[in-house]
Amino acid sequence: MSTDAAIRTDALSKDYGGGAGLFDLHLEVAAGEVFGYLGPNGAGKTTTIRLLMDMLRPTRGRAEVFGIDCQAHPVRVKREVGYMPGEMPQWGGLRGRDIVAHVAGLRGGVDAKAVSSLATRLDLDLGRRYREYSLGNRRKVGLVLAFMHRPRLLMLDEPTSGLDPLIQQEFFGMVEEACDQGATVFLSSHVLSEVERICQRVGILRRGRLVQVARLDELHRLRYHRFEVDFDGEVPLEAIGACPGVDNVVARDHHLTFDVHGGVAPLLRALGTGQVLNLVTHEPSLEEVFLAQFRDEPHGATEPAGTAR
Amino acid sequence: MSTAAAPAASPTLRLPRRPAPLLRHALRTQRWWFAAVAIIGFVSPYSTGATFLAAAPTAAARASFGHATQTLGAALTYLIPLPRRPETVQGYIWWKGLAWLTLLFAAWGLGAAVSLVRADEERGVTETWLASPVARVRVLMSGTWAFLLATLGAASLTALGIGAGLEAARASAGTAAVVGQCLPLVGIALACFAVGLLVAQLAATRHGALGLGTAVLLVLYALDALARVNPGLAGPAVISPFHLADISTPLVPGGSLDGAATGSLFAIAAILIALAALGFAHRDLYAPLLRRRVRAAHLTVTPSGNPLYRRAILSRLWQQRLGLMGWIGGTAIGAALLVSLARGVGDLLTSMGGIERILATSGTANPSLWVVSSVWFGVAALVIAACAVTQVTRWASDDVEGRLEMEIAQPVARWRVVLERFVALTLVSTLIAAVGSLVTAAIIPSQGLHVGIGPLVLATALLVPLALSYGGLGALVITRAPRVAMGLLSLIAVLGFYLPILAPLFRWPDWLQDLSLFHLYGTPLTTGVFWTGLWIMLGIIVIGFGGAMLAMSRREISR
Repeated sequence: MSTDAAIRTDALSKDYGGGAGLFDLHLEVAAGEVFGYLGPNGAGKTTTIRLLMDMLRPTRGRAEVFGIDCQAHPVRVKREVGYMPGEMPQWGGLRGRDIVAHVAGLRGGVDAKAVSSLATRLDLDLGRRYREYSLGNRRKVGLVLAFMHRPRLLMLDEPTSGLDPLIQQEFFGMVEEACDQGATVFLSSHVLSEVERICQRVGILRRGRLVQVARLDELHRLRYHRFEVDFDGEVPLEAIGACPGVDNVVARDHHLTFDVHGGVAPLLRALGTGQVLNLVTHEPSLEEVFLAQFRDEPHGATEPAGTAR
Repeated sequence: MSTAAAPAASPTLRLPRRPAPLLRHALRTQRWWFAAVAIIGFVSPYSTGATFLAAAPTAAARASFGHATQTLGAALTYLIPLPRRPETVQGYIWWKGLAWLTLLFAAWGLGAAVSLVRADEERGVTETWLASPVARVRVLMSGTWAFLLATLGAASLTALGIGAGLEAARASAGTAAVVGQCLPLVGIALACFAVGLLVAQLAATRHGALGLGTAVLLVLYALDALARVNPGLAGPAVISPFHLADISTPLVPGGSLDGAATGSLFAIAAILIALAALGFAHRDLYAPLLRRRVRAAHLTVTPSGNPLYRRAILSRLWQQRLGLMGWIGGTAIGAALLVSLARGVGDLLTSMGGIERILATSGTANPSLWVVSSVWFGVAALVIAACAVTQVTRWASDDVEGRLEMEIAQPVARWRVVLERFVALTLVSTLIAAVGSLVTAAIIPSQGLHVGIGPLVLATALLVPLALSYGGLGALVITRAPRVAMGLLSLIAVLGFYLPILAPLFRWPDWLQDLSLFHLYGTPLTTGVFWTGLWIMLGIIVIGFGGAMLAMSRREISR
């Protein structure tokens, strides 16, 4: 393994049975990188994070954080990590300041000024009881606990869930600052737009398998153009359908919609064989690309050919 | 290229309509309490009836036994009602087997109501119900019907226990008398359930509601107890459900079911339930009926400066300081009350005759000292066991509610979590036992007794391995099934409490008694260390906590 990798997994698997779990995960996240871990609900994002945090034990394979084996030396790993779970614990009547003090006591080496700075930025009142916090405020407590000791690696499970847009912006700023200070950030999400905002690379997980790892600019290549064309008279359906990269063709009377991946020169020639009345085209957002990738595919129908790295 | 297909018409999926989901949910939440109360409800009158013949086999013996019990009852009148016709098996079952059951049914009622209102609300269950087209009153009434059904079931088993106890003592009572005796149990359970429903509308949290409800019931119980020794308080005592439940004695020869008192219990329940429903209809979900307006306060952004939070074990204890103070205060009051009765009860036992048989194996010839050794330290063992069960419940909820996950996410070895729990339980049980013994040491001279510091320290110290035995068992259970830990440990404690009573009755082998941790504790104040018991307890502690450390290191932490 390269010594500058913050996270490295080798065939990491957790088989819950019935096809659920995580399978043969080969992943490498470089130190200093902000890595987005994407996938629909139940894809295995939380399972991956819990395996890295030694909450779960792998069925096979191994995982390392900064070269330290997660299963053999979990305490050493956790010294380097700031963790925010997907679901916050219930602390009942404890006040925010007591929770922070308790967790800081377990960890040691937490600067009270760092806590104050985080709480101020997140507009979090630590004087209130945990049960009085809204969902968003509970997530803010989670962020304070994850960031307060300035860890080398931040492992955040759906960190922006429940945060309002203003606080989300603050969170993005916190991630950028952590990154500037050399920290690595591994965050899971099913919201592509937030990943698009802060991550340098993303991994896409589906049904427990990593189907794609790419830089964001590479992911943009997945994008396509959607065309809507109205014809006067006959629609040159065959000519358009024969063009390379044309997909999802739907014809209704004289109206035609289709997607085009790649160059459009052959398509423009094919369109010229008919009488075009109106033509509209737009580029779907990465979110739509992402959704199209995972929509309406029966189980087992689109298993990846290999494991992406 | 692919072309889009017209969407196929999908058939409408209709889920089968299941009857009364609210009722089923409420019944489901009652099942463990129901099981515990039903078992105790059956065993208590049955074991009382079954022991009667052995205690008083002849008419003369019964007369003497009845007199002695009457005097004993007079000494315990602050706790339970005076015996009535204790020379008869029916009277004896009523006094020893049933009188204290009112407390159990009352506690069940309070717990069930708080669970229905506050625990369901904290879990988000109530919000889910109310998000469907269900009226608030219906949620409350379904829970009430479920509790009534469960109470009727438990009371029926109590009636069967009375019947079996009478049968064992070769006696009988009319079905109406047996059923009539169980009716006040249903009434008090329902009345206390209604008290719980009402206070749960006024408190913000489950713990708050439980604390407030317990305080209300303690006041009502104290009113009844004071009225027993001070007839001037009989008037105000009619508002106490305990007083109304104690009045009816249809099982006792010459006694009768007081229709007005029993009816009052149900009337109180109905009124309080109506008030609770009104309160529920007018309050915000997740909030008490009366709430203070939040004052604008400056933002607190600094962590707590309390140094106790910096040490994991001290932090654990500090977080439960109110509960701990309750345990310590309760133990101190219990010690003061029971030890102050030692001389009176001892004199009474001397007058009973046959006490020599008990004293022969008790390590003392002084009946008063026997009372302190067996009765008070027996109760102390029960308190310590209950405290250990609550600690285990807390560990289990750490697991289920995600706090353990956050602890493990810090650079803390997993085995250390178990070790910290062990140390915390050791400190808690030592503190409670020590306070109980300090009170005992302070009061015991007033009873004309002298107990050396050595035996007192020994009896106190041995309570700690008893607590740790329950803790060890619990620690092991929660590594596999945290959600069942409390139920299982409570069952072990209840069975352990009854085993030493039932084993001699049924001539079960002696080793079977060693399955009871209370038996393993013994009576160290007068008989010294029961070494077999101590070794077994130490074995349980080592296996329990050692196994828990191993299991904790290997298990998965996941909600």
